[in-house]
Amino acid sequence: MTVANEKIEALLEQVQKAPRYTGGEMNTVVKPWDTVALHYGFCFPDTYEVGMSHLGMKILYGLVNREPDSVCERFFMPWTDMMALMEQEDVPLFSMESRRALCDFDMIGFTLQYEMSYSNILAMMKLGRVSLLSRDRGRDEPIVVAGGPCAFNPEPLADFIDAFMIGDGEEVTLEVTAVIRDWKKSGAPRMDCLKALAKIKGVYVPALYDVAYNADGTLASMTPNCPEAPAKVEKCIVTDLDSAYYPEEIPVPYTEIVHDRIMLEIMRGCTRGCRFCQAGMLYRPVRERSLKRLVQLALALEKSTGYEEMSLSSLSSGDYTCLADLIRQLMKDLQQERVSISLPSLRLDSVLKESLEETQKVRKTSLTFAPEAGTQRLRDVINKGVTEEDLMEKVTDAFQGGWSSVKLYFMIGLPTETFEDLDGMVELARKVVACYFSVPKGVRAKGLRVTVSASSFVPKPITPFQWEPQDTREMLQEKQAYLREKFKGVKGVTFNYHESGLSFLEACFARGDRRLGKVLLRAHELGCMLDGWTELFKLDAWMQAFADCGLDPDFYAHRRREKDELLPWDFIDSGIVKPFLWHEWQKALAAETTRDCRQGCNGCGIQRYKGVCSYADAGRVSQR
Amino acid sequence: MRMLAVFRKGERLRHIGHLDIMRAMQRALRRSGVPVAYSNGFNPHMLLTFASALSVGASGERELMDVTLEREMTAGDFLATMNPALPPDLQLVAARVIDDRHPALMAMVQAAVYDITLLDQTAADACRAALPAFLAQEEILAERKTKSGVKEANIRPWIFELTMEGATLHGVLALSETENCKPDMLLTALSAFAGCEKPRASVTRLGLMGRDAEGALAELEGL
Repeated sequence: MTVANEKIEALLEQVQKAPRYTGGEMNTVVKPWDTVALHYGFCFPDTYEVGMSHLGMKILYGLVNREPDSVCERFFMPWTDMMALMEQEDVPLFSMESRRALCDFDMIGFTLQYEMSYSNILAMMKLGRVSLLSRDRGRDEPIVVAGGPCAFNPEPLADFIDAFMIGDGEEVTLEVTAVIRDWKKSGAPRMDCLKALAKIKGVYVPALYDVAYNADGTLASMTPNCPEAPAKVEKCIVTDLDSAYYPEEIPVPYTEIVHDRIMLEIMRGCTRGCRFCQAGMLYRPVRERSLKRLVQLALALEKSTGYEEMSLSSLSSGDYTCLADLIRQLMKDLQQERVSISLPSLRLDSVLKESLEETQKVRKTSLTFAPEAGTQRLRDVINKGVTEEDLMEKVTDAFQGGWSSVKLYFMIGLPTETFEDLDGMVELARKVVACYFSVPKGVRAKGLRVTVSASSFVPKPITPFQWEPQDTREMLQEKQAYLREKFKGVKGVTFNYHESGLSFLEACFARGDRRLGKVLLRAHELGCMLDGWTELFKLDAWMQAFADCGLDPDFYAHRRREKDELLPWDFIDSGIVKPFLWHEWQKALAAETTRDCRQGCNGCGIQRYKGVCSYADAGRVSQR
Repeated sequence: MRMLAVFRKGERLRHIGHLDIMRAMQRALRRSGVPVAYSNGFNPHMLLTFASALSVGASGERELMDVTLEREMTAGDFLATMNPALPPDLQLVAARVIDDRHPALMAMVQAAVYDITLLDQTAADACRAALPAFLAQEEILAERKTKSGVKEANIRPWIFELTMEGATLHGVLALSETENCKPDMLLTALSAFAGCEKPRASVTRLGLMGRDAEGALAELEGL
């Protein structure tokens, strides 16, 4: 059903931020409903402002809409006021484009960017009139798929999602849409579709696997229950970014969103090997887009959007091989269009002074540095190859170059952390402040602002820390209080930290198993949603949900796993092998660093993708 | 050179505020490749002004903007270049070249023409019945939010014309920097007078008026 405009208008008059729901943005695609064979509802399980900032959505939106027989429309999580009104007025979750109900689509896809959006997935399906449990869905209901980084441990969502797509989505998405389109025409039972999907490389269909547990609650086995399901699900890898699809037109919102600019993905993957970083493992191997292709995309996107700002996006933009050339070329081609270029994930040790100077020609924003830990010892444990000297050098450059606003990102609760490491954070911030004042008054810009943010470490699957317990909430809170006190004495520094309950829950779901589906469903029934928004996060309700299901959250967040324990995500072949992760973990305990892949292959496993991983060199693989 | 352009803010964009519409228009200008002129100075900005901000909740049939261009361009070319760069709900409907000495549109606006559709039948009936007596009053006091707080003003002289057909009020209401009879103010006063609850309403601004050489109200886009 299409929701009548008048009905929507009546709701919009009563909500805050109505532009979240209006649609009709430039470059959005509307196709007459009956002219296409496959209707794909792309769901971002968070608000419009967050979802519209997400690059992956823009890629897949463009990709599917380029197919003449398919259409992709967008869905976002409504805010609580809108949600309440929609329930009250019996209005289903409707798409941004044609204002169709979610349940009308042949296929709906959720992107899993962070664990704390899981409750929104249930809330959106409920509001969209889609049966929550995969096994309850009828022949005419949408096939529910999901992808994104959290899909690398799909188990907590296994009850709700029909099929997961693991890895890069550019190619597998069209294989999946084709299967669903053909199945829809065939009239065959739903299970036929799921089995056909399971045969696609990179697709995981939870219903086709049986799971057994040991008496102590750990996983005993996970086995396919039909021949179509592979024992290991191998992630999808786009081998060549230059030929991979990238949109040249992206929706331009009316209302301001979190990242309101062109995002140019210059490369995928990272060679650094920071041990806490899940993305650094999942997105291997490193693949770069060519300078030529990037310049062409930048100009096309600028022309189609009219955006005045562009950011170069990747896990570690400073590592892009010809970054200076790229920036110089973009500056040259885009200066006339008055476009400013920003580098979001600036790495301490790689960005050339020259590039900094070029960027500032247009605009000076705040610079972000992520030392992550306060002492060299702990930075070695996490393999964050950054020294205090590096930081000071870059910060001095920045202050001399006219920046006065610096953000420092740290984590607390890292494995082996002591209060000495916390003191190190304070010391580092103090040195940054001193560094500012050491730049002569005439040279430095006015108004020093140092923002120190400390997030709480969450051990993630497919990282060397995947066996480790998270700090308890009490411990995290103690550390936060300690730092708050210490930072009071440092002039010019603002200290921020995250809600520890949220990180705790994130830790449960990050390494959770299939049984957490019950907890999620119960939390949904208890009204949990939009958990990522601190003001709406209900830890008590979540704790009750665990209790109601007879599960102990500490089992997931605070338990040290054994080396030979079967982990819920072990059936996913991410390309990174478990012995490598364990070896890295042992090195971490010894505070031994591991070199950047570019200095030589460390044998993470991804080197088996020869010709894709540029740094695979069998001769130099360290033996284990 | 300066271009006066008439645009439509469609129903779907009713809830998009003035600043967002301005930004959308700026981006459309950039997309279109129209040679927009920028101000000089440290932070150059586009030379683009709007005759009047259209409030959140209202759509507009003939809204006006004034763009300065770096190079000569015909109105026809301007329209043909801009419209493909604009989304369907925000399209230009007319344009004409104006003299560089043309006064600022913002200073010329004197009134606006509105259709205000009451979305409650009972309230609409009550308002329609009460309208003649409402207009016969010498003074109509309405609350008006100003920078210095809420003030009471007599809006009767600001209602140039007001009729009602079915559930739709059709009005020509004062709109200038000093005298601004907002549809919402009018609706509050009218429903209070009619003794009904203030209804929800859908507001469309049909056009903007200025005064001609004789001092009579006339369509601003033609002046």
